[in-house]
Amino acid sequence: MAHQAHAYHMVDPSPWPLTGAIAALLMTSGLAIWFHFHSTTLMTLGLILLLLTMYQWWRDIIREGTFQGHHTPPVQKGLRYGMILFITSEVFFFLGFFWAFYHSSLAPTPELGGCWPPTGITPLDPFEVPLLNTAVLLASGVTVTWAHHSIMEGERKQAIQSLALTILLGLYFTALQAMEYYEAPFTIADGVYGSTFFVATGFHGLHVIIGSTFLAVCLLRQIQYHFTSEHHFGFEAAAWYWHFVDVVWLFLYVSIYWWGS
Amino acid sequence: MAMSPTALVARRALAAASQGSHEGGARTWKILSFVLALPGVGVCMANAYMKMQAHSHDPPEFVPYPHLRIRTKPWPWGDGNHSLFHNAHTNALPTGYEGPHH
Repeated sequence: MAHQAHAYHMVDPSPWPLTGAIAALLMTSGLAIWFHFHSTTLMTLGLILLLLTMYQWWRDIIREGTFQGHHTPPVQKGLRYGMILFITSEVFFFLGFFWAFYHSSLAPTPELGGCWPPTGITPLDPFEVPLLNTAVLLASGVTVTWAHHSIMEGERKQAIQSLALTILLGLYFTALQAMEYYEAPFTIADGVYGSTFFVATGFHGLHVIIGSTFLAVCLLRQIQYHFTSEHHFGFEAAAWYWHFVDVVWLFLYVSIYWWGS
Repeated sequence: MAMSPTALVARRALAAASQGSHEGGARTWKILSFVLALPGVGVCMANAYMKMQAHSHDPPEFVPYPHLRIRTKPWPWGDGNHSLFHNAHTNALPTGYEGPHH
């Protein structure tokens, strides 16, 4: 019943790239409208459209791969390249914020008091909650590796347990960071220290939330028997992303929390 | 640059384990999770808790430095003068701490 003489996936026409682009337009212009005219309608519309796009596009990919068999080995190879390239682009994204941090902190201007941290800034103690956060993410890297081996060995129950544990650790990190943000004696408006701190750690936190969500989707899929011991690329992609998030944190911890205090 | 001995040991061990794991993998990583990773988190939890108890609860005295508490453009929420995670106890406004207890 095969209709193609090749192993590749010629994807059916789909509206999701268009709705995604429209969502991006509505969110960006909506942000500008919010800042200048105090209305959140456009931005909220864009956000809803974005969520709908993501849900339906990824649902379709799962249908094509898991249920319709389109993810042959060469197709999977392409998906691997894609995820690696995407993560690489994210590395460069964070590189920019680290550049900004080092630019300002290696040569602190006279306006800051010629020192880093700037005069009047009380930095967080790197050996309190930040160290705990480091342990939490490192531990989650161990548990996600346990999950991967469990999947490869067909250990269904262990895979579910270890994946759930990983997600819980991710949520714990997010909760701890939110508490730190609230308790911090400095804000984003406290000069270049505040800007670099909250933008770099803030984008990292967003990536933790994204990574936890990705893992949670994998947990649901694992429970519903989507993964086999040989074929579980969605999980591998989530695990790569999670390790990336962990590594970014390690750089943040050493640079901003530890050296920068 | 001293780190707690436990954290140092934990880091070295985790680095070694990620190179050393191979066959029987799931069991190895399960053991690492419950013997090393999660206890490591527990130790750091205890450490953070004890250090937080030892803190003074008073925020630093307010000095109206011009390079801090920048208000070039108001935030698009509330009165535009409070950051998203504003904490009246630890975050002063440009005019000083809010409320009577400072």
